[in-house]
Amino acid sequence: MTQTQVLTPASLEELVAALAQATPQTRLLAGGTDLVRELRRPVREPDLLVDLTGLAALSEVRLEEGMLHIGALATFTELQWHPLVREHALCLSLAAAQVGSTQIRNAGTIGGNAANASACADGVTALTALGAVVITVDGAGERRTQSLDDVVLGPGRTSLRYDEAILEFAFPPLDAGHRSAFAKIGSRTAVSVARLSVALVVRFDADAGVLSEARVALGAVGERAFRASELEAKLVGRAADDETARLFADGCVAAVEASIPGRYSLPYKRHAAVGLAYDAWNMLALSAPSEPAWT
Amino acid sequence: MQLVLTVNGTTYEVEARPTARLLDVLRDQLGLTGTKEGCAEGECGACTVIVDGRAVDSCMMLAVQARGKEILTVEGLAQDGELDVLQQKFVEYGAVQCGYCTPGMLMSAKALLMGNPVPSEQDIRVALAGNLCRCTGYTAIVAAVKAASGQDTRPLMEMPVEPGELAAEAVTDPDTLAAACGIVEAETGQPPGGPCSSGGSSEMLGFHSAPEGGE
Amino acid sequence: MTEDLQYVGGNYPVHDVAQKVTGELVYGSDFSVPGMLHAKLILSTIPHGVVKRIDTSRAEALPGVIKVFSHENAPMDGFSRARIHPGQDMSFYDETLFSEHVRFVGDRVAAVVATSRATAEKAAALVEIEYEELPAVLTVDEALAPDAPAIHDGGNLLFEHEIEKGERPDLEGAVVVSSCVSTPRIHHAALEPHVCVAQGHSTGGMTVWTTSQGVYAARTVIAELLGLEYHRVRVIKLPMGGSFGGKTEYIIEPVCAFLAHATRRAVKLLLDREECMIATMVRPATRTTVRTACTPDGRLLDFGAASTLDSGGFAASTPDYSIHMCKKVTKIYRVPHYRHEGRVVYTNTPVGGAARGWGAPEMIAASEVHMDRVAAALRLDPVELRLKNMVEPHDTDLVTGLPLGDARVRECLERGSVAFDWAARRARPAGRGRIRRGVGVAAGAHKNGMYGAFPEASNASLKMNEDGTFVLNASLHDTGCGVVTTMRVIVAEVLGVHPDLVAAGEADTATTPFDYGTYGSRVTYVVGECARIVAEKVKDRLLTAAADLLQEPVERLGVADGAVHVRDDRERAIAYRDIARLSQMRHVPSIAASTTYYAVSNPASYSVQFAEVEVDCATGLVAVTDFLAVADVGRAINRGMVEAQYQGAVQMGIGYALYEHLDVDEKGRAGVDGFKNYHIVNAPDMPDVQVLLVEHEGDDGPFGAKSVGEIATVPTAAAVVNAVNNALGTELGDLPLTPERIIAALHGEEVAACSSC
Repeated sequence: MTQTQVLTPASLEELVAALAQATPQTRLLAGGTDLVRELRRPVREPDLLVDLTGLAALSEVRLEEGMLHIGALATFTELQWHPLVREHALCLSLAAAQVGSTQIRNAGTIGGNAANASACADGVTALTALGAVVITVDGAGERRTQSLDDVVLGPGRTSLRYDEAILEFAFPPLDAGHRSAFAKIGSRTAVSVARLSVALVVRFDADAGVLSEARVALGAVGERAFRASELEAKLVGRAADDETARLFADGCVAAVEASIPGRYSLPYKRHAAVGLAYDAWNMLALSAPSEPAWT
Repeated sequence: MQLVLTVNGTTYEVEARPTARLLDVLRDQLGLTGTKEGCAEGECGACTVIVDGRAVDSCMMLAVQARGKEILTVEGLAQDGELDVLQQKFVEYGAVQCGYCTPGMLMSAKALLMGNPVPSEQDIRVALAGNLCRCTGYTAIVAAVKAASGQDTRPLMEMPVEPGELAAEAVTDPDTLAAACGIVEAETGQPPGGPCSSGGSSEMLGFHSAPEGGE
Repeated sequence: MTEDLQYVGGNYPVHDVAQKVTGELVYGSDFSVPGMLHAKLILSTIPHGVVKRIDTSRAEALPGVIKVFSHENAPMDGFSRARIHPGQDMSFYDETLFSEHVRFVGDRVAAVVATSRATAEKAAALVEIEYEELPAVLTVDEALAPDAPAIHDGGNLLFEHEIEKGERPDLEGAVVVSSCVSTPRIHHAALEPHVCVAQGHSTGGMTVWTTSQGVYAARTVIAELLGLEYHRVRVIKLPMGGSFGGKTEYIIEPVCAFLAHATRRAVKLLLDREECMIATMVRPATRTTVRTACTPDGRLLDFGAASTLDSGGFAASTPDYSIHMCKKVTKIYRVPHYRHEGRVVYTNTPVGGAARGWGAPEMIAASEVHMDRVAAALRLDPVELRLKNMVEPHDTDLVTGLPLGDARVRECLERGSVAFDWAARRARPAGRGRIRRGVGVAAGAHKNGMYGAFPEASNASLKMNEDGTFVLNASLHDTGCGVVTTMRVIVAEVLGVHPDLVAAGEADTATTPFDYGTYGSRVTYVVGECARIVAEKVKDRLLTAAADLLQEPVERLGVADGAVHVRDDRERAIAYRDIARLSQMRHVPSIAASTTYYAVSNPASYSVQFAEVEVDCATGLVAVTDFLAVADVGRAINRGMVEAQYQGAVQMGIGYALYEHLDVDEKGRAGVDGFKNYHIVNAPDMPDVQVLLVEHEGDDGPFGAKSVGEIATVPTAAAVVNAVNNALGTELGDLPLTPERIIAALHGEEVAACSSC
């Protein structure tokens, strides 16, 4: 039995060289919070492990040419606290803060979150609302830029080739006119996989007193995080009031219902979506906190 | 494969499988079994260690990923035989029952205090959210972390007595002892040695406290 | 008891705390012996079937694999994992080391023994097993259906029992209330997984290191199964990372012992978390219907209960467990007539068995949720209704006929109501918005050992060392909550020395005297009293020796601070170490004593608990915002640890009420495989639990102490459920109250109902 080889590239060149050796049995290792568990009882021992954690440059967050770049190796802890993320992508910071435990946030990376392609990945839900693209490199040194939707396909499925690694995510930064929020429902307050999550980005036109832009991503319903575009269209042009909050909640419920028709979890999730929507809406702090009507 | 790891300030060279977890190398190869395994999926926190200042689950990290980093385990908390303040407070506040979660709890708490010397109760509970305990209900653990950060000063438990500390407490007064020795001498016809051959008793006994864990 | 106590009632950390905080303590999972092999279990992947073929060739070809064992090459004698002594009734020998007829997903089919754990795991994946599948029954209702496939010869109804006590009163004009409560299968969730190390000796004997709650019980099971004389089997207790009943029965010990015996090597069997969840034991799922009749002003006239307990694939201790469900209500309430019928049913699910509280949390969930329904029907406050019916000290338990002793449940409720500010909190409106607040109360009862069921006894020896320190020799099994410390404090109190000058080790069949182990809330009450008595005997010997040396009558002497003194002339004192050394001169080489103590009573221990909750009506999530546990402990030996143990017990009970359940899917597979999907309460969701001790020391335990560890969790779940129902105006009774169930109830949608109600 041949032993697994481990390569720990320290530069982009070394990464490309390592990827050039990759085969379909090769695994890329980032924070390890999913892969290490799997490696304990592998279906098949990997021939090569490419340990990405030596690539310090890949954990950078930077503003460049009008885009916010999030390095694939940025940990959730880093994203939670990074000033650029808090200023220009608050929903990503909020999502990062709600991932797993302190230990998992210290190790887990945003790139791993996307490459692992869980439907419940909090980071991916936030990136979806932020309209992120994914920048990858392969063993030939070729860089590609694709939309997140084209990379994350469904539970455990991505379009990434075995010799392709995520370098970073990029999206237009939110500015002072934007508000964003992330809310999730787990089965306890902290350290819980999302049963339902929502990332919400709006731009509020203070002069007109209406929402001029709205982006809504729902997570943990269906195969992968998705944008609720019908709902987004309905929100634009509306005032930031209780009625819009209700419309937002109704829209989330409708999106959940459309996404998982007949699923066992639907009866719960369609009700819970109301609470989730109000949590996210109130986080925007555009108006006094709203509450659903109770009978 | 050959690995060089720095654990608790000591550099070790070990031969390990490439896919060996940091937890396995610490426990099986370095004999540092203070770090525990409770779930093998990063949920219980019993295996928490500090790597470059941050708490991580050592069951979720390959040993190769820890190369070149500073690893701190529970065995490295006490310095020169002195318990770390967190260890001390865990004892004083009754935060330890079965103790299996304790090393991980200590390491998560240590990492918290390294970055946030005066955490709020909420900070503490969030920092420990990835460390499960089935014995304590967390009350005493949270109180101990507060105390270690100077925010609580009402210890509950008595500290165990240091070996030898109780030795001098019970001393027979010289007159009583002399009388007792006289009785034994009269009874046996022999002068009893030991306690009777010098004035006091305690300084000559080579006294030790109760053995740990019994005989 | 009015004497001043110097050490009892103090606050002491667990005896091995220093080794625990430094990481130095060697737990079972850390333990190894040179040349040790490692075993890996292979578990059934189907809920019901017969193993047709096992091909071990690929596994055994792997370098480092010693052998694969299965029903083909292991003894197939039945054993009972719950048999703690050879003469025990209620042992069902329905289990073998490895199953040919598999009865649940997780049933042991084979074990690989190899030179390393990694090799054993790799080899286990290479063993090919072919099954003939049989139809499975996954619920008690399916199991009891007329044409259900039989899981064991004799059918699926494993055990039935019925008890009726008292006279059925005239029920004319009585208010009749019925309810049904179901409780889930749960995982004990001790943080340390199950582990055993066994060394087969070339002589045919063996040594077994176990993290269980009874070394003599383990020896009974192992020796009988392997056909070894008892003296050839030495079982040693190792430090353990929790049990909560989950390590009370002998599941992996006989397997590991067999593997060691067969290979004449040392073998370690360490389970992973998923194996602990599905292949050891769970708290059994139950369903109980209660029907009461009471006067319009709230006096109970009649209490009827019918419970069904899901035993899973094997009997384990579940018949006895079920019987004990009948012995709870009449410890709390005066009921003129009590009738209870119980059924225990095999299903193709993980095995149910011993769990903290032994039937009490299950039954109290049913009876105390029911009491709130009665209160609602009569428009009475729940506290008021309970006070109208509670027993008084020295009542007799209607069901067992045993005196309840200094039963202080009423005082617990009264004092707790004041401390919790019950009346004001209960009067506060739940609110009409998204967050609703409620409070709930529940009373629980448990026992103190096994007196009344069989001759409950313990043995201990105590010797004084030449320097005036002491060594207690008893078969102690500390699960982590301070049993050893408790014993040291008891002995220290009697002898007037600091507890740190008393050593006490844990159980070892070769060196410590017979004891049943940590079962049935017996340790403090029975073993502790045994320790107290043996300490009194040593004290007598010390006083006798000192009387000679001081030339004073024994009656004038007292002990304190490691010396015997003359009571009215305390300057005249002789240190223990001088007594020891002078006694050796006088041909008394050791001051020591042994004793056997037979328990003389089995009073009830009580706890009354109060919960405040906030329910998010949008998400169905419940936050327990405040909690008070009132404890009738007789006398706290180690006050700090009693409180700490209560706080932990409440964590377990909140999980039982709100989060924890181990359900199986339609293929019999557990819906959980680790702590990722089996959630126990973590720090952010736990309230700071307040503990109020009620101490009257009126019973026969050491210094009046009664049991703590099990009773502490008995009423918790019921208090939380009652609080949620108070907040929402619901009648939820299927535990746990998951967000799905709460949301469904709030929207009047189909609630997963008690199907037999």
